[in-house]
Amino acid sequence: MKFISNKIFLFSLAILLIIIFPIIFLRLNPYTVNIVALIGIYLILCLGLNITIGYTGLLDLGFMAFYAVGAYIAAILSTKGISFWITLPICMLAGGLMRYLLGLPLLKLRGDYLAIVTLAFGEIVRLVANNSVSITNGPKGLPRVGEKIMPIHIFSFVFQDNIHFYYLIFFFVIVSIIISYRIEHSRIGRALIAIREDEVAAELSGIGVARIKSVAFVLSGIFGSLAGAIYVHWIGFVSPEMFTFWESVFLVAMIVIGGMGNIFGVILGVFLLVGMPEILRSSLGTVFIDYRMLIFGMLMILIIIFRPQGLIPSKRRALELHTIEKD
Amino acid sequence: MVEQKKILDINSVTKCFGGLEAISNVDMNIYENEVVGLIGPNGAGKSTLFNIITGIYKPDKGEIFFKNKNINYFLPHQIIAEGIARTFQNIRLFSNMTVLENVMVGRHSRTNAELIEALLRTDGFRQEEKEIQYSAKNILDFVGLLKFGNELAKNLSYGDQRRLEIARALATEPLLLLLDEPTAGMNPKESSDIMELIKTIRAKEISIIIIEHQMDVVMNISDKIVVLDYGKKISEGNPSEIQKDPKVIEAYLGTD
Repeated sequence: MKFISNKIFLFSLAILLIIIFPIIFLRLNPYTVNIVALIGIYLILCLGLNITIGYTGLLDLGFMAFYAVGAYIAAILSTKGISFWITLPICMLAGGLMRYLLGLPLLKLRGDYLAIVTLAFGEIVRLVANNSVSITNGPKGLPRVGEKIMPIHIFSFVFQDNIHFYYLIFFFVIVSIIISYRIEHSRIGRALIAIREDEVAAELSGIGVARIKSVAFVLSGIFGSLAGAIYVHWIGFVSPEMFTFWESVFLVAMIVIGGMGNIFGVILGVFLLVGMPEILRSSLGTVFIDYRMLIFGMLMILIIIFRPQGLIPSKRRALELHTIEKD
Repeated sequence: MVEQKKILDINSVTKCFGGLEAISNVDMNIYENEVVGLIGPNGAGKSTLFNIITGIYKPDKGEIFFKNKNINYFLPHQIIAEGIARTFQNIRLFSNMTVLENVMVGRHSRTNAELIEALLRTDGFRQEEKEIQYSAKNILDFVGLLKFGNELAKNLSYGDQRRLEIARALATEPLLLLLDEPTAGMNPKESSDIMELIKTIRAKEISIIIIEHQMDVVMNISDKIVVLDYGKKISEGNPSEIQKDPKVIEAYLGTD
C-alpha cells in the first residue's frame, strides 16, 4: 500500500509542478512556456509512438505521417468553422482508421522491412500534402490567405495565449501518461511486450498476435493525430515541410535515447532532445543549431554503445509474491 | 480396461518442404490422460509434427482432430485456446519480462479484458487481473519457481528456464501438453527432477506428448511410444515392444 501512495504522491507533485511552472516563468521568460508547450506536443507524439516501438517492438520511421493527418484534417475542418471539440475526435478517428488500413498489409512484415515501408509511407503522406494543392494548398500550407483557424472555445473562454495552450497540451500529456501506464500494466500490455520479446512464443502462448499488433499500431496513430490537431490550433498554420523524414527519425531518437518502453525514459528523452537545444541556444548562441544533428548523432552512438537500453531502461514492475494461501 | 476417449487424432498427415517429405502419411492417436513418447533419430520430423499440431505449419494432406474438432485451419493461438500447449526445443521465453509475467502471459487465452476496460480500470478488469496473478502464482508454486517470481526470465538458470516454459504452457490450461526435449542439456539430477514434474502434471489429467532423446527417461515415463524415421512412423507400441522392434533398432543403430 505504501508503494501505491508513493506513486500517487509523485503524480500529484508532477501535476502541481506543471500547474505552477508557467506562473513563475511567464514573468521571467515567456519564451520558456512556449518551449515547454512544444515539449508537451512531442511528449504526446512520443508516448504514442512508444506503444508501437517501445512496447510492441515494431520500428516505425514514418510516424510524422499521422501527425500530418491530424494537423491537416484539423486545419481543413477548422477553416470551415467547425469547432475544435468536434474536429478533435474526427482527427483521432481518421488517424486511427488510416493506421488500421496501413497496418493490414504492413504488420505482416517484420523488423527492417517494416521500418522501410513506414519510412516510405511517411514520405508519401508528405508528398501528397505537397502536391494536392486543391486540398492542402501545397507547399504554401493551410490556412489559405483570407482563411483562419477557428480558435478553441470552452463555453465563452477562448484559447489565445501560449499559456492557455500550455495547459491544454499538458492536460492531454497527463491523459497520455495515464493511458500508457494503464496499457503497460494490463493483459493487452503484457501481450504487446510478449510480442516484442518473442513473436512465435507469444502466438503459441495463446496471443492473437496479428490483432494485438494492430491494436497497438492504431492506438499510436490516434495519439499522433491528436497531437497534430492540437498543434495546428496552437500555431495556426500547417505546411508539408513540418513532416519531413528527419522529424520521424527525431521521434525515434527521443525514445531510443530516453529508454524504449519506459514512460519516464520517453519523457526524459523528449526533454533532452527538444529542451536541450533551446537551453544551449540561449547559452551558446544560434551557432549551436547548425551542429544540432551532429550532436544528436554522436549522442545516439554513445547511447547505443554504452547504454543500449536507453537512459532509463524499461523495468518490469515487481509484484507481491507471498499472497498465496496454502491449505 | 476402461475405454479411453480419444483426444487428438492425427489422420494420415503429410507435410512437404520443397520436394522433401518432412512428415509422410503419419497416423497417431492420443487418448485422455496418456503420456506418449515421440522418438526417432535427428531429422526424423518430431519437431515438425509438433509444429503441425500447433498450427505453425499447415499439413499438405490429412487432417488433425482435437476433441473431435478439425483444427487444420486454426491459427496457432486458436489451437492454444482449444487446449493444446507446448514448449520449445530451444527455450523461447519472454526474456525481459519477469518470471511471474511470463506465466501471466500464458493466461491470455483464458481471460478477456479488452483495452477499453484496462483504460477505464473497470471492476471486471481489476478482478480479472487479481485472478491472473493468483493463478500464475499458483502455477509458479507448482513448478517450484515462486521464489524467483520477480526475477527477469533471462536471469534464471537453464533448468529453471525449462521449468518456466512448462509453467507458461500450463497457464493456458491445456488438455494436451507437447514437450519438445524438456531434459535436453540437463544433468541426471535435473532431468530426474523434470521427470517428477511431468508425473505430477500427468496426475492433473493432462495428456502429454514428449519428444525425448534419453531413452531411459522416455521408456520410464511413457504409456506408449511412437517412433519416427525420415518422416514416417515406423513403429508404435508400449516401451517393451518398442525396445524389441527390429525396425527401431535398425533406425537407431543401422544394419550390417
